[in-house]
Amino acid sequence: MPASAEAAEDTTMTDPQVYLEKLSAFSRMLRLEGLIVSPKETEDAARLLIGLGMADREQVKTALRTVYAKSREEQLSFDRCFDGFFISEEKMRQQAKEQMQREQELQQHRQEAEEELQLNGKPMDLDESQREAYAAMPEDARQRLRSFMEKYRGTAERNPKLYGEFIHSVFARAILEQQMLMENAGVGAQEIDPEMGILYRDISEFKDTEIPKAISMIQAVARQINGELSAKRKGSAHTGKLDFRKTIRKGLETGGSFYRLRYRKKRAQRKHLVLLCDVSGSMVQFSEFALRFIQSLNQVADSSRTFLFSETMVEVDAFQLQNMDQFRSHVRELGIYGRGTDVGTALAQLCLKQPPILNQATTLLILSDTKTIDQPRAVRAVMEAKRQCGRVLWLNPIPQNKWQYLRSVQTMAEICTMVPCSTLRELASACRRLTKI
Amino acid sequence: MTLEELKQKMDQAHYIYDDTLATVLYVALQLGRPLLIEGAAGVGKTEIAKVMASALDRDLVRLQCYEGLDESKALYEWNYQKQLLSIQVNMNAQDKDALTKSLFSDEYLLERPLLQSIRSEKPVVLLIDEIDKADEEFEAFLLELLSDMQVSIPEVGTIKAKSIPFVVLTSNRARPLSEALRRRCAYLYIEYPDMEKELAILRAKLPHVDDRLCAQVALAVQKLRASETILKKPSIAETLDWAAALDALGLRELTPDALRQTAGFVLKNNEDIAELNLDDHHACQCGGCGGHHHD
Repeated sequence: MPASAEAAEDTTMTDPQVYLEKLSAFSRMLRLEGLIVSPKETEDAARLLIGLGMADREQVKTALRTVYAKSREEQLSFDRCFDGFFISEEKMRQQAKEQMQREQELQQHRQEAEEELQLNGKPMDLDESQREAYAAMPEDARQRLRSFMEKYRGTAERNPKLYGEFIHSVFARAILEQQMLMENAGVGAQEIDPEMGILYRDISEFKDTEIPKAISMIQAVARQINGELSAKRKGSAHTGKLDFRKTIRKGLETGGSFYRLRYRKKRAQRKHLVLLCDVSGSMVQFSEFALRFIQSLNQVADSSRTFLFSETMVEVDAFQLQNMDQFRSHVRELGIYGRGTDVGTALAQLCLKQPPILNQATTLLILSDTKTIDQPRAVRAVMEAKRQCGRVLWLNPIPQNKWQYLRSVQTMAEICTMVPCSTLRELASACRRLTKI
Repeated sequence: MTLEELKQKMDQAHYIYDDTLATVLYVALQLGRPLLIEGAAGVGKTEIAKVMASALDRDLVRLQCYEGLDESKALYEWNYQKQLLSIQVNMNAQDKDALTKSLFSDEYLLERPLLQSIRSEKPVVLLIDEIDKADEEFEAFLLELLSDMQVSIPEVGTIKAKSIPFVVLTSNRARPLSEALRRRCAYLYIEYPDMEKELAILRAKLPHVDDRLCAQVALAVQKLRASETILKKPSIAETLDWAAALDALGLRELTPDALRQTAGFVLKNNEDIAELNLDDHHACQCGGCGGHHHD
């Protein structure tokens, strides 16, 4: 922070009332970021600011972070908010100027887009978000679309309806790609901290060098989830039936008086899991991670069976596949690597297995991106599997913000519970959901 | 106490700290809030409580948490044997109510760390170590103590703190702690120290070890932590052990041979040690000795 700006802030913030006003606005901002901030925290922060002053920005940041942020994740959000909120007047003016420029440019683009997005003299059938995406597209991309429209203008005179539909579909596709690009740009905000970053990154984008780190992170998170489940189970209420043996034994400590009664504990009811993992092409890495994760959760299920599939399905012993290289070489040996995905065939084979694998105590986990050959057959197979087993959960490695663009995901999400699992963090929360089955 | 005074006291306790840590401790002290410290194992979370006890000239009361820890081990317990004896002795007493009342008096109360810390006449530093190992019920039970500095004992009533302890809770993040507990605490996350801090710690804790060796050890540990392939990153305690082991063997330089002899002090699993020796024929991977060619 420049010295002049610091001095300016010092003079404006000597009055405690100013501290409180600024801090309450800052607290509101933190709440919007998802932090739980009570008035008590704002009060503590004000006390600290009055005590410490604003001379040392880093000191103030550390002090306020101690009060407001209560976990590593919250600390990262706090740092972002603080850096955006407590800025010098000069920087604030500069940011406001830049923002105004951006707004003006966007407004101009909107006006241009209004004129450009016309077909045969009528506005194209696009919704507001698509128009916004078009306005935000870089000039060269919009130019490409305009010249494309010009190129086929001759067709418009011969067959205006066909021309209209064709141009509309090309525009809609380009705009969709732009929307997806914009959403991708939003991902990665958690990259400030490399240790945490790997939790938020798309699993399919892990580099080979990052895999050991990701595996150790999986182990840590699995340990954490197991700990939570173990604690929950221990804490579950008793059955109400007296445990005579334990009560008498405990009574011996107090000279035979039954000072404390002991009750029988509830038996843990754990489910039977069936995992169906897609190992076709790009799905291998995700399936390997997800499988490792679920197998580490010894507290989730009493028993589990694992099946790998691409165009056909094979049962495997997941505990022999704990090593990434072993997993891949085994998948290759089975002859299912690098083939297409056929969810319908795999599920049909699973449903027909004798003795039956699926029953009402079973939870079926499907690890796949829903891209399959013969979609209608796959839908019928999922419905049959759903009828046979207690619950079907679909762990999908495609980021949730892209689901709206994929018909196959939307179809499957209508008939079974679709859980986003594109990152390790999402995979961990999906595994936590397994405990509620 | 001002921030500068706190820093002076920590200097007197020969503790190596950075400005962030000093500010956080100052904030927790100023606000009278418990301090929740999280971080990987071995980064010095417990040490902070010990240093604060020394810096503030207070006794340290430590409660080590584990699965199944309950209030009888953490807060208080009635001395059953003594109570039963008393009943036997006073069996023929006329005033039964007085006998009953006397059975639940201070005489029969066994103080455990939590009660001890709030009934102490002189304020203490209370260390609740590895809170993530305790059950969720115990965490909930702590809330009253942490927010109101009082505990409720059914037979006695509410006991308010005679002196306010400085409470330090540590967690290795084996499980997430409840929001309620977090909200009552000031929060500190400790990362592994950087090269300069690690070297300063080595010099402070092992003043007799050669400076050059300390620098090599600190650099090697930094590289090991940064390595993607090392799964169990070495902690500060392991750095100190390693330097001490090298010194005990009379080694003055971190050569590949020295590394091979003492690798077990810094790396604690087989895969990591194997990883270190992978390219043995080409260059030592520790990073501290700059390969096989030492100057």
